[in-house]
Amino acid sequence: MVFSSMTFLFVFLPLLLAAYYLLPARARAWRNGVLLAFSLFFYAYGGPPFLLLMLLSIAVNYTGALWAAPGRRHPRAAMALTTAADLALLGWFKYAGFFFSNLARVWTGLPVPEVTLPIGISFFTFQGLSYVLDVYRGQARAQRNPLHVALYISLFPQLVAGPIVRYTTVAEEILTRRETVSDFSAGAVRFLFGLAKKMLLANQLGLMADEIFAVRPEFFTVSLTWLGAIAYTGQIYFDFSGYSDMAIGLGHMFGFHFLENFNYPYISRSVTEFWRRWHISLSTWFRDYVYIPLGGNRCSAARHIRNILVVWALTGFWHGAAWTFLAWGLYYALLLLGEKYLWGRALERLPALLRHLYALVLILLGWVLFRSESLTYAGRFISAMFGAAAGGWTDGRSLYYLLQFRWELLLAIPASLPLRDWALRRLEARDTALSGLVLTWGPKAAALGLFALSFLRLVSSSYNPFIYFRF
Amino acid sequence: MKRFSEVCFILLFVGFLCAVPLLILLHGSKLQALYYENRALSAPPELNTQALLSGDYFSRWDGWLTDHVAGRERLLKLNTWLDYRLLDRPAVNGIVEGAGGVLFPFQAYGTWDLDYLAGDAAAICDDLAALDELVTSYGGRFYYVGLPLQNAFYYDRYPDYLENRYWHISAMTEAFAGAMADRGLAFLDLEPVLRAAQTEERPLYAASDHHFNYYGAYLAYRTVMERITADLGRDLPVLTADDLASEDLPNPFLGSRDRKLYGLWPGSEALTIGVQRDPVAFDRTDNGTPVPAQVFRLPATEAETVDYNVYMGGDVAETVLSTHRPELPDLLIFGDSFTNPLETLFYTVFDETRSLDLRYNDVSLLDYVAEHRPDVVLCVRDDTSYLSAEGNGRIR
Repeated sequence: MVFSSMTFLFVFLPLLLAAYYLLPARARAWRNGVLLAFSLFFYAYGGPPFLLLMLLSIAVNYTGALWAAPGRRHPRAAMALTTAADLALLGWFKYAGFFFSNLARVWTGLPVPEVTLPIGISFFTFQGLSYVLDVYRGQARAQRNPLHVALYISLFPQLVAGPIVRYTTVAEEILTRRETVSDFSAGAVRFLFGLAKKMLLANQLGLMADEIFAVRPEFFTVSLTWLGAIAYTGQIYFDFSGYSDMAIGLGHMFGFHFLENFNYPYISRSVTEFWRRWHISLSTWFRDYVYIPLGGNRCSAARHIRNILVVWALTGFWHGAAWTFLAWGLYYALLLLGEKYLWGRALERLPALLRHLYALVLILLGWVLFRSESLTYAGRFISAMFGAAAGGWTDGRSLYYLLQFRWELLLAIPASLPLRDWALRRLEARDTALSGLVLTWGPKAAALGLFALSFLRLVSSSYNPFIYFRF
Repeated sequence: MKRFSEVCFILLFVGFLCAVPLLILLHGSKLQALYYENRALSAPPELNTQALLSGDYFSRWDGWLTDHVAGRERLLKLNTWLDYRLLDRPAVNGIVEGAGGVLFPFQAYGTWDLDYLAGDAAAICDDLAALDELVTSYGGRFYYVGLPLQNAFYYDRYPDYLENRYWHISAMTEAFAGAMADRGLAFLDLEPVLRAAQTEERPLYAASDHHFNYYGAYLAYRTVMERITADLGRDLPVLTADDLASEDLPNPFLGSRDRKLYGLWPGSEALTIGVQRDPVAFDRTDNGTPVPAQVFRLPATEAETVDYNVYMGGDVAETVLSTHRPELPDLLIFGDSFTNPLETLFYTVFDETRSLDLRYNDVSLLDYVAEHRPDVVLCVRDDTSYLSAEGNGRIR
């Protein structure tokens, strides 16, 4: 089920709100039960058989954490076994097809298994892993109530597209959270802003990106490829950050406080900064569970380079079983290493505008690699962006896309900037009756207006995919 | 104040979440079809194991809910207004506005391999040759009447930066005409005739519909009849311009392209009918059932919207118009909706005029012709359908 669907908005959510809030606040266990039941249904909605897989993952992590807790016998072995089991599940469902199809190229006749990718498997697997690893490290206590572990892993707001919530973030809230009117209101505002990002920007830019990335290379023009890259850059940000906003907002509505997943990544002035602002929950996961255990940067340059390459190869593969994702990960590894060892200092001396431009262009090229069906296509796409386009500099199609999607392209610029934060700070600083009124009512009125527009688009359009569902 | 605003906001938000499903339950669309979208409303999904396990069962509910939202057509019209009138997007609901306000279908960018054309043209013309052989075997005549679709007719008014695909239509026409000529079949391509007669003052095609207008239909009728009378060597009672009084209906006309824009096209054009000064009497049956002897289905009031279905009441699987003049030949006309205004004219020349629309009729065309042995058989198709073996291209 996707948040931006009629079923979620007008059946699932009202029923959940009713079932949840009709129970008294002191009936915490019952409220958790309601959340768990609805979360399991939320997941089963897309294909009930995969619910069994998630339940298996929950069982493995629940048991593994109990065994891996400090003070138990052989905690390291328990941790290793649980991690292996988690990775085996992820490996089979996500990577078996890729692995065998590549093997079949050299080993003719090798059967390639057809494995359907369960939605959100990368997210719930990483959440389960973080729980077990945190317990093993003594950073979290093993949860004896399996329903609480099940609720943590399956909690519907972040279940299928993140953010990757660490157990330590919500452990206390599962047991003792307090839902408030302020939290609910702020959460609903956040949810509606996220919904608008998705419905009003991401979907439209996605239409444009999909069409341009389906163009055969012999028809590329320079302008068309740049437009395609820009459109996808906008789509993936508004799609994914919109989803994160909705997840965080829904969390607030039920008393949970998830950590931020995006921090205006496109205002970055370097690739290093970009990865501090983009998909923060994934970056920190890899940092804490892979990069630092490998030695991080407190080691020789050679080992540091190895660590970066390993982490970014894994980050690329986490996004999908394809060579383009691996290349995308390694592309960022090289850029991060370049900024660390080669041009980082020189970059810092450049004017801010040039640094923004530097970061944006590299991010844009990265998304081309990420979005392309193959490395060959990505290569021709990027070549075309820099002049080697068979169709020349521009064409009528570019003009059409510019006209057709001009409002989204224009709106994407301020929507990517921290203008809202800036405006809120300014209003708070003024401290007048009017600014107070605007602060109190403005975001809520805007959220309701955006809800109406999103609803209009939802009823009218059928193009509504979430990119990160497939990861 | 903050607390008050939060409570108000929550009430509005939750109220909206609850109001939509309640309105669907209480005031959801009771219609079976969506007029502007020209499709049936989705039915509630059927529960079965396969649909449940694949997730289809639940996902189909989403489609059902979207279809049955109360006020759906108003919402979609508002959405169209936003895109078309306010945001001024070039393509809205698959429609593009060209020079002179002409509405076109948006043609997807892409490339077309033209190698397939010769093979497809040969296949379809082999079928048409079989029909021609059957018709000539009993002394009848078969003509294939080709008409440009509105977007092909006005191709030069399509926005320059978009792909009008006229080159593709031209290539299809050329391949088809060549294959017809190779087999000695009578192909009456009316595009040059219509294009030569078109003027700004008297357009022959609608701006907001994909068909010709009544003037275009009349010119097509005259041109075809000139050829038939010449071939038959008979003096048939062909309607002249003096025999008809053109009448613009006062009703607002909703063309098929404007319909996709929910009638928001700012232009205006009237639907014209030709009223015979000395009407030729006839009987009419539709699908074997006698119906009132009318060739125009006119609305009860002038305020009602009219569309192309005024002509002959729209597409009918089989219509028979009998004028009870056995001295005149019989006609069979088959094709898509371009035949509808033509039928209002052709029937006056023949004793019995049969009309078939094979999109709605499973009858074998060859069996039907063999059974009724019409003296003249007309196939009327537009230039985007020449190579289609579907619908009225299903000859065998």
